[in-house]
Amino acid sequence: MRNRDKTVKKSKWDEVRLKNWTSLAFRVGIAISLTLIVVGFIILIYISGFTNIQPLVRLEQIPAAIVISLGILFLLLTPIVQVLLSVIFFSKNRDKLFIGISIAVLSLSAVSLILALL
Amino acid sequence: MSNYTLNDINLWALGGTGIFAGLLGSMLGVGGGIIIVPVLTLALHLPIQIAIGSSLVAIVANACTAAGLYTKAGMTNVKLGLLLETATIPGAIIGGFVAVLIPASILSALFGAVLIYVGYTMVVRNYFETQDAETELPVLSNKPVSDLSAALSDSYHDETQNRVVNYKVKRTPIGLVAGFFAGVLSSLLGIGGGIIKVPVMHLVMEVPMKAAIATSTLMIALTAAAGALIYQYHGNLQPFVIAPLVIGIVLGSRAGVELTKKTHGVWLRRIFGIFLFLVAVLMFLKTANII
Repeated sequence: MRNRDKTVKKSKWDEVRLKNWTSLAFRVGIAISLTLIVVGFIILIYISGFTNIQPLVRLEQIPAAIVISLGILFLLLTPIVQVLLSVIFFSKNRDKLFIGISIAVLSLSAVSLILALL
Repeated sequence: MSNYTLNDINLWALGGTGIFAGLLGSMLGVGGGIIIVPVLTLALHLPIQIAIGSSLVAIVANACTAAGLYTKAGMTNVKLGLLLETATIPGAIIGGFVAVLIPASILSALFGAVLIYVGYTMVVRNYFETQDAETELPVLSNKPVSDLSAALSDSYHDETQNRVVNYKVKRTPIGLVAGFFAGVLSSLLGIGGGIIKVPVMHLVMEVPMKAAIATSTLMIALTAAAGALIYQYHGNLQPFVIAPLVIGIVLGSRAGVELTKKTHGVWLRRIFGIFLFLVAVLMFLKTANII
């Protein structure tokens, strides 16, 4: 009985750890990406002023576009990193069902990422 | 690559759109997409594919911020979110490809139809209102749960009731089918897809409302990211359109959380529901080239 209780508690603690990892991945990802996007936006305003601008990037605006694009890339990678952490978590727990599920989600996300980079 | 011309845009109008979308989105429990796409197309005259791609990125920012908070509070069912994403992401990829193949007028009409549905849920059937987690759950059958359902069982601490809510997840196949269509709709129209996921998780899969909203938010981050990457493949992500939108939506949603505590949610939702009907009419007029 004591062993069973111990198992339940351990499993519950593991679930909490999965949620902590997930939360951390989102918060770090959003912090990095937002910082880059804000910095890029400040560079854009410095270069182009407060006036209306063309959405398509001009030569002198390239530095701003690069920094903002990096921020967007980090932002879109954030949920994918969360899935990667889930794969690691389930592998450590030897949870075969969810290793398979999280690898399937990671593979599907990778397909869209590869298409975007083509 | 899409074929369109782009007019000059006002950065502050885009930032204002993001703030408005974040503010109303968090106050009303909807993604910012149903606000961003109509404003960008009807008011700022951006092509609908650019509007949808930009909306998806803004939604990822909003969803990641909220998902971090929900998951930290222990409300997100990560396992359920991952399982449903096996169907939702393929839907998002397919939706992203279909969106560039069908005419913009049809996309506008589809968007109008979705606005009418969301407006209806706000005015008449308020699925998204967070209520008591266990007492309101519908009882559709008394069948024993499967092994998978047991593996998806979860719990969270409900602060308003000061107790731990335990629940099991039922009817996962229906959730997977609904997830696929939510993914298609998300990428096709630049919305989060929570309008499908939350009611299905809550009413069909018997997930408590707070856990359904939290899990849907986690899923929206992944689905919208997959969809946005497909829009990037088609050259429809413009950094200068996206930057002010993303900054605005994050600021707006934080302000919205504070404002929600001071406003009367039901009437706000009803007024916004009627507003959505009016926007739907404008989208249909745009479809018919009248405006």
